[in-house]
Amino acid sequence: MNTFQDLILALHRFWREQGCAILEPYDVEKGAGTFNPATFFGVLGPRPWRVAYVEPSRRPADGRYGENPIRFGLHHQYQVILKPPPHDIQDLYLHSLEAAGIELRKHDVKFAHDDWESPTLGAWGVGWQVWLDGMEITQFTYFQQMGGLDLDPVSVELTYGLERIALFLQREESAFELRWAEWLTYGELFRERERQFSIYHFEKAAVENVRTMFDFHESEAKECLAQGLVFPAYDHTLHCSHLFNTLDARGALATAERETYIARVRALARACAETYLTEVVRAHIPR
Amino acid sequence: MPTFLVEIGVEDLPAEEAELIAQSFRENLLSGLKEARLSHGKAHLFWTLRRFALLIEDMAEKQAEVVEEIRGPAVSVGLDSQGNLTAAAQGFLRRYGAGPEKLVRRTVGDKEYLFLRLERPGRSAKDILQEVVPKAVRDIPCSKSMRWDGGMSFLRPIRWIVAILGDEVVPISLAGLSAGRRSLGHRLFGKPLVFSRPEEYATALREAGVMADPEERAEFLRRAIERVETEHNAKAALSEELWTLLLGQTEWPQPVVGQIPSEFLALPEPVVVAALREEGKFVPFTRGGRIAEVFLGFAEGNGDPELIRRGYERVVGIRLRDAMGFFSQDRRRTLASRVPELKGIVYEARLGTVWDRVERIRLICRLLARALGLPPDLLDRAALLCKADLLTIVVREFPELEGVMGGIYARLDGEPAEVAKAIEEHVRPRGKGDELPATPLGIALGLADKLDGVIGPIRVGEIPTGSRDPYGVRRRGTAVVRIVLEKGIRVDLFALIDGVVGQYPGAEPAETVKEFLWERLRSALEERGISYDVVEAVLAQKRGDFLGVWERAQALQALVGRKDLADLALAFGRVRNITQGHEITGFDPALFQEDAEHTLWQAYLVAKDRVEKALRAQRPAEALQALLELKNPIDRYFDEVLVMCEDRKTRENRLGFLTALCRLFLQVADLSRLVVPG
Repeated sequence: MNTFQDLILALHRFWREQGCAILEPYDVEKGAGTFNPATFFGVLGPRPWRVAYVEPSRRPADGRYGENPIRFGLHHQYQVILKPPPHDIQDLYLHSLEAAGIELRKHDVKFAHDDWESPTLGAWGVGWQVWLDGMEITQFTYFQQMGGLDLDPVSVELTYGLERIALFLQREESAFELRWAEWLTYGELFRERERQFSIYHFEKAAVENVRTMFDFHESEAKECLAQGLVFPAYDHTLHCSHLFNTLDARGALATAERETYIARVRALARACAETYLTEVVRAHIPR
Repeated sequence: MPTFLVEIGVEDLPAEEAELIAQSFRENLLSGLKEARLSHGKAHLFWTLRRFALLIEDMAEKQAEVVEEIRGPAVSVGLDSQGNLTAAAQGFLRRYGAGPEKLVRRTVGDKEYLFLRLERPGRSAKDILQEVVPKAVRDIPCSKSMRWDGGMSFLRPIRWIVAILGDEVVPISLAGLSAGRRSLGHRLFGKPLVFSRPEEYATALREAGVMADPEERAEFLRRAIERVETEHNAKAALSEELWTLLLGQTEWPQPVVGQIPSEFLALPEPVVVAALREEGKFVPFTRGGRIAEVFLGFAEGNGDPELIRRGYERVVGIRLRDAMGFFSQDRRRTLASRVPELKGIVYEARLGTVWDRVERIRLICRLLARALGLPPDLLDRAALLCKADLLTIVVREFPELEGVMGGIYARLDGEPAEVAKAIEEHVRPRGKGDELPATPLGIALGLADKLDGVIGPIRVGEIPTGSRDPYGVRRRGTAVVRIVLEKGIRVDLFALIDGVVGQYPGAEPAETVKEFLWERLRSALEERGISYDVVEAVLAQKRGDFLGVWERAQALQALVGRKDLADLALAFGRVRNITQGHEITGFDPALFQEDAEHTLWQAYLVAKDRVEKALRAQRPAEALQALLELKNPIDRYFDEVLVMCEDRKTRENRLGFLTALCRLFLQVADLSRLVVPG
């Protein structure tokens, strides 16, 4: 058992034992597992919530044409949300690494201060980057706000960098050498994709079209919100966020303009969070 | 008397803040005990990122007893002729719920009163600690606090509390927890602990894999670093920030030495140093000004050093490969070719782009080149290029290399050596205690850069108040003063500000900037050991030559405590007082009547000549010496001359002369501000 998929399955098994619902990735492009509705909406309101899922996460600016062993335009996060967080959450997290096959007592594990913030989601929290022998393998965050709203209770978000952990387990130097399955490498799956998306995001994306798409999704999101259709509104918000990332990677945004775009996405995210809490939680979801 | 142990167990605190948290816990707790009049012996502080603890020896078991006496009615009012309590006295007792046996008589002034004598027995230490400890924790200031389900806010969740007095648990409750005897050892290598007595604390923790004594940990780290220095004949490139992180990062540090692959040793030394030090991960070493091939990390606990070393080397390799890529990408273009792109970086909404900032720095440099006799073309070249490294990838990745990279790239581009050096130096000092620029062009460019950082924000109304200083204006103001004073820069800052302020957006007048820098000068003088009355004396007259003020302050400080100075100060005080409020300037020596007037006039002429010459030659001590000669003539003048005489013409003539005399003194210092003993 030492493939990328084995790692995912081990984490699935571990977190299922902890009472998590094992979910699937969400089918709209996004920069991190945090954007998945299971996290964005799941952490709002008082209802206890435990979920775990893999999230392919797109960060156009991090693309390196498939030439960097550990940086990609799309990487895989393993995301866990625990609301409210158990008191032994740090130990629980360490057990999950052991379950994935890391013999912790042979290594150097540090919880290094790193507070997390997503300006586009209006979200922030405090926590750590977990370092394994000096390499960041997990972002561990106590969410305090989402969509600009104070959370009560707070949630813990664990975001494992699967590629990095797999490098450890498979003792490889480059992610492209990792085995996804016994017969299939990560490189076969993703290297060409990385190259093409880097070309697209850095060189080819038609800036005016992307701007227009952003405007379009923004106006759809607003229209949906006006009708109380919070989930479709949120999908359009996700599109906006990704299109903003595309413009950013393309180098199309001056500093001041960049701030404006972030504020536009944040306003939508906040409106989604508020609408969800006032209309959906109250009306439809059983407590 | 028993020993008290309190340990607060937390989820990992930020390494850079753990010590501050522990220290403020200690201060809060000790001052709480003092307030509660609970005496104690020595207090020992222990901390790591997962705990902070105080071990307090010889804890009093009870509060000191207090006796309080409360004044009631006068005896004549409180007792009737038979010596029984009156209604007034009974009311007084009722108010305090006390019986008549608590009454005593005391005389105040010439009257006798009834007093209620209340003896408050001391409360037990156990009671007091239950109040003082939680408050001491809650009052710790945190940089950014979080909520969890403990019903309080703190830097990180609190997970356990130990509180033992002697051999008894003190049932403190805090953050939804009750104190007990249980603690945790090292996360991976320790075991749960149960203390029966406070004295076991340090030993038990050590056995459980925790070096809780910060002194011991620091000593351990230092030795490990020195060992590498000796073995590899290299010098550790530590920084204060790195050291704080190293000390705070581990409960049980294990040194692990790794090798930097030789392909990366070709990178400029500052880049490798920055990459290794990043987030407090590794200690870099240098040998003869170049990066050495070893680095040192401290693992948490007793892991397998071979495996960890390989992990560290992999991380270092990844980061340095990145850095190498960034560096060679940066090198594809010259620094000069990037300058126009500075127009695309917003410096501040009202203050425009970084390019606008560069233009203003160039303007200041032009004036400085003239004032200081520096080659204007070279200084302008350095000013033009000084911010271009903000557009390089290496600086984006390692912001602390701003300036340093500019210098490196400029040198590689073939810019003149002094231009490259000036670019490298212009960001200094980055903070308190940081080195200043050293070369003439570097000093001028650094001064221009800091001045721009003061004038710009103030001009648009961002004047620092209290702890609010989002633009770092105060830090830059301090840097301006430091450069001028420590590098001996003789320049009229006020004239400089007048010369450039019109080029800045905003409307705040030049006066505000001058006033602000003047206050920075005041703090600088105080920090450098000038006594406050001397500071007042030399700051009485505002002028832009800060170096001159500093020199006069030192000259005057050297005379403090001398009798002749004190006498002169008193004499001058009379001159200053009598001329205060009069606007008379003209006088005619021909109208002098008394001998003493003529004598002082002659003495004045001599002193004036000497003072002005001495000040021109920057020899303020000589100017003071010249003023000292005036003491006797002034004293005699006031003994023999009636300044405020009936005759208006004579009076005004005398006031006019004294005003001139006053001005002569003020060129050096307002000696009337000196605090004279006696």
